[in-house]
Amino acid sequence: METSAHPVTPLKEVADIINEAGGEILKLCYQCGTCTAVCPWNRVRDFIVRRIMHRGQLGLIDFEGEDIWLCATCNSCVKRCPRGVEIVDVMRALRRVVTEMGIARIPDSLRLTIKNISATGNPLGEAPDKRADWAKDLDVKPYSEGTEILYFPCCIPEYDTSVRRMARAAVNILKKAGVDFGIPGSRVNCCGESVRKAGDEKVFERLARSNISVFAEMGVKKVVTSSPHCYHTFKNEYPGLGGDFEAIHLSQYLLELIRENRLNFTREINKKVAYHDPCYLGRYNDIYEEPRQVLESIPGLELVELPDCRENSLCCGGGGGRIWMETKSGERFSDMRVEQALAAGADVLAVACPYCMLNFDDSVTTMDKGNFIEIRSISELVSQAI
Amino acid sequence: MIVARDYVFMCSEPGQEIIGKDIRDLGLNRVVVAACSPIMHESTFRSTCQKAGLNPYLIEIANIREQCSWVTENKQMATEKAKALLNAAVKRVYYHQPLETRKIPFNPNTLIVGGGIAGIRAALEIADSGHKVYLVERSPSIGGHMMQLDKTFPTLDCSACILTPRMTEAGSHPHIELMSYSEVEEVSGYIGNFKIRIRKKARYVNGDRCNGCGLCQEKCPSKVDSDFEAGMGKRKAIYTPFPQAVPNIPVIDADHCTYFLKGSCRLCEEVCEANAIDFGQEDEIIEVEAGSIILATGYGVFDPAPIRQYGYKRLDNVITSLEFERLVNSAGPTGGNIVLKDGSAPRSVAVIHCVGSRDRNYHDYCSRVCCMYALKYAHLIKEKTGAEVYQYYIDMRCFGKGCEEFYERIAGEGVSFIRGKVSEVTDRSLNDEEKGRLVVVAEDTLLGSVIRVPVDMVILCVAMEPQQDAEAVARLFKISRSADGFFLERHPKLDPVATNSEGIFIAGCCQSPKDIPDTVAQSSAAAARILSLISKGAVEIEADIASIDDKLCSGCGVCGSLCPYSATSLDEEKKVYKVNEALCKGCGTCVAACPVSAITGRHFTTEQIMAEIEGLLI
Amino acid sequence: MSFEPVIAVFMCNWCSYRGADLAGTSRMKYAPNVRPIRVKCSGRVEPTFIVQALQAGADGVLVLGCHPGDCHYTDGNYKAMRRMALLTRMLEQLGIEKERVSLDWVSASEGSRFVSIVNDMTARIRKLGPLAKES
Repeated sequence: METSAHPVTPLKEVADIINEAGGEILKLCYQCGTCTAVCPWNRVRDFIVRRIMHRGQLGLIDFEGEDIWLCATCNSCVKRCPRGVEIVDVMRALRRVVTEMGIARIPDSLRLTIKNISATGNPLGEAPDKRADWAKDLDVKPYSEGTEILYFPCCIPEYDTSVRRMARAAVNILKKAGVDFGIPGSRVNCCGESVRKAGDEKVFERLARSNISVFAEMGVKKVVTSSPHCYHTFKNEYPGLGGDFEAIHLSQYLLELIRENRLNFTREINKKVAYHDPCYLGRYNDIYEEPRQVLESIPGLELVELPDCRENSLCCGGGGGRIWMETKSGERFSDMRVEQALAAGADVLAVACPYCMLNFDDSVTTMDKGNFIEIRSISELVSQAI
Repeated sequence: MIVARDYVFMCSEPGQEIIGKDIRDLGLNRVVVAACSPIMHESTFRSTCQKAGLNPYLIEIANIREQCSWVTENKQMATEKAKALLNAAVKRVYYHQPLETRKIPFNPNTLIVGGGIAGIRAALEIADSGHKVYLVERSPSIGGHMMQLDKTFPTLDCSACILTPRMTEAGSHPHIELMSYSEVEEVSGYIGNFKIRIRKKARYVNGDRCNGCGLCQEKCPSKVDSDFEAGMGKRKAIYTPFPQAVPNIPVIDADHCTYFLKGSCRLCEEVCEANAIDFGQEDEIIEVEAGSIILATGYGVFDPAPIRQYGYKRLDNVITSLEFERLVNSAGPTGGNIVLKDGSAPRSVAVIHCVGSRDRNYHDYCSRVCCMYALKYAHLIKEKTGAEVYQYYIDMRCFGKGCEEFYERIAGEGVSFIRGKVSEVTDRSLNDEEKGRLVVVAEDTLLGSVIRVPVDMVILCVAMEPQQDAEAVARLFKISRSADGFFLERHPKLDPVATNSEGIFIAGCCQSPKDIPDTVAQSSAAAARILSLISKGAVEIEADIASIDDKLCSGCGVCGSLCPYSATSLDEEKKVYKVNEALCKGCGTCVAACPVSAITGRHFTTEQIMAEIEGLLI
Repeated sequence: MSFEPVIAVFMCNWCSYRGADLAGTSRMKYAPNVRPIRVKCSGRVEPTFIVQALQAGADGVLVLGCHPGDCHYTDGNYKAMRRMALLTRMLEQLGIEKERVSLDWVSASEGSRFVSIVNDMTARIRKLGPLAKES
């Protein structure tokens, strides 16, 4: 989005469209550049967030360019903006203008994913009746009325075999703790978080309303999620659409189980573990302590902090639909994060989000660091120790 | 109803004349004005009536502007509401009674709270006209923040040099009674007749005997961080905050004095030739009376430690602006040498604007002086060390007299201006040049790229904020605060020195952040207001107070128990309660509570309010 | 047309009335359903005023004073608070929903707070519907 060499004229109509699509808050931007300077993209390439805000104010957004699709919705900028501009909402509005008005092309991989989710209820385009296949051999019951808890693993661990391990470990823990729980069956859809961030408000609403009515029909009262993205959506976005159930992230629930002495640690894990704060747990929901406390209660485990942690956590790069888009080698945040973990002397990089797991697994493979560091979910580590 | 008229500017001279003429010509005995808020213009129209020979209490205002037309989008509904308001006013005014205001003597003494430049200036202004001023200052010396500053922008004259003569003048003025190390504890009364209880804290030094030789401070073994030096230097447990202190009488800080802590030492006592040390001294309560009060309680300094990313208190050589003022001051802890923690001189310095200001995470408002003193820092750093200076600003606000010219001058001295809010000050280096230094990260918004500058020192231009106890002080004096926490002026444009409490004025940074010239101007304005009150010699008290009907009063005493001013008392002979008109403020609490409805709240009588309710709703 | 309630608002001269004026000078917009009545202090508001307002056609009554601790007359607002507790019981006896009468605080600088209180109250009363008047 380079500044034009020619004189430009503000496009009031376009500015109005952006406002109507939910970007109105950008009017408050006073161009201080905090967003740009805290944005992780600028560690690997130029991404002048501030300029997008200004162009938005004047209706001069380049909808054809790749800029509006870069934001990983990590929320770092929003947390620090001195004028309270919800920059992530602005990005969502810009994408919405593209998806709903068709004025430019949605990146191919993202378009395909949205199509998949829209058609099959999951981003991989797999058959809905295979949703519970990941747990076939685990002796887990599908959720039915009267069960205390719905364990909601997220589509990724359900359908993508490479990160299935985080959900299977969770099941092991829940069973050992004697929790009365069930898992989603074919009627349940993707929570819709990434679709919404990708700008497709309509598909999001359809997914959300469908889930809300299915949950209500099944009498779901409490949902434990593996993914901070599902958690965020259930907790903060579904209630506005009529959702009436409690959502809690697995790391919080594990801490509850530990505090109630329902988990009996029998094995030590004598490793240095660095915990990676996922954006949607940390910056979006201020959950920083629970995952750390869970890890620290594992005997033998030594928790080390990464240089960018808690509020300043470095995004894995997978939010906002970026997980479905290709990021060039050399520009991947997850590579930087793995480097940080290695520099901190960690044996394990612990994650609490399926997207992070996908990205870090990928980084470790492409960086050929498999012999130096493992990517493990908190659930795997707990499961291993009980 | 005799006549109804419509005019664009009713409050203007010709507008008022229309009313006056109608009163005279048509013999009107009630007037209703439907216009702006009575808060704004009730007094205007009351005097219009008075001039035309009608008792001023026979008018009623319908507020169809602030509370109707300006706040209602739907025109039809606005009209309906305006009609209701007007109807209510007409119904109410029917029951209005002519009332006489009372004049009570005005006590010509003035209480000024706060001995910074604002309080000093106002005190001198009033005292020079021959009237008594009580100047109360909480710390051991007057002088305030201005005393801590090095040079003043844009003229670069020495702050202490221009202030100390005024301090001395205030300290020795025959009409100023200076009460340092003292705090106001209680305020009662009202305009013209305030009663103030002041706690004079024990100094443990007899002021009459002390000759200010300073030997006690020299010998005292206990060292404490000095507030005056913004924590950059030390003072003793017996101390004056700075050598030019007024009064030049030390105090013993009992929390750090070896004798008070451990029971032995008394070195100060030993060396004091004047026998001024008095460990047995106790706090003293002094009661004074004053007709008016000026609050000049100043500002607090924002603590930037919560902005973790700027590294204050975490990284060495990240300092606040106030700390820098002391560092650069030749009377300061380093003798005016701008040095790093290790004693060396910085090669480059970053000055970060708007720290805690213009940021809804901290303070929404602009602190107004930072841009200018930041420019001053650039000059002083260049002059004293030759270091590179990087100014990180969002917008340069250089609006005062001589300020834009100063900006130009400093730019000419070769300062780098980076337009962008700093996102981080870090010691995490990316290359050899950054290693071991502070790296300041921001988007240079004019370049359109993220910029990292390695520097040796970072100065945070921290926000001015309301004093920590601003809320308690506001309550003590019964004044309001604005949303930002500063004291609220009566009118933001036309009455920026008065408050909603008659007789209480505000000056300086307790009202909002401002520079020295604006502070001094506001102080002089407050003083002028008070001098005009004093010269009138009497103050008119509203007539809308309570009165008790002897025939109805049963003497139960409910009114007496509720009245915040003890303005009703039992007439022993008649066994009924009566109102002391000098004390009653007309709040109406007793009126609402009287079980036999024996009390009338003048101008807010039950029948007037009932008529208004009826008029509004039917 | 949907039901538009009428709400009488008693405001003290020092804090809440000035807060309402500030909403005006700041050109904030709020429900036009409110009818302001200025008194010197919320402590002046007698229960009979409120009852009279309800009888005269108001569907709800708001009493606004200074924040606790900030009363221009030291503690008139506390007295208003105590009186309001008694009044609530009285209203129940009269068969009037207690939500129709509310006491709140607005300082002279809280124009936006005034607006939100007024809007909330209007929405609440609109939900409750018109006050059934004895004929």
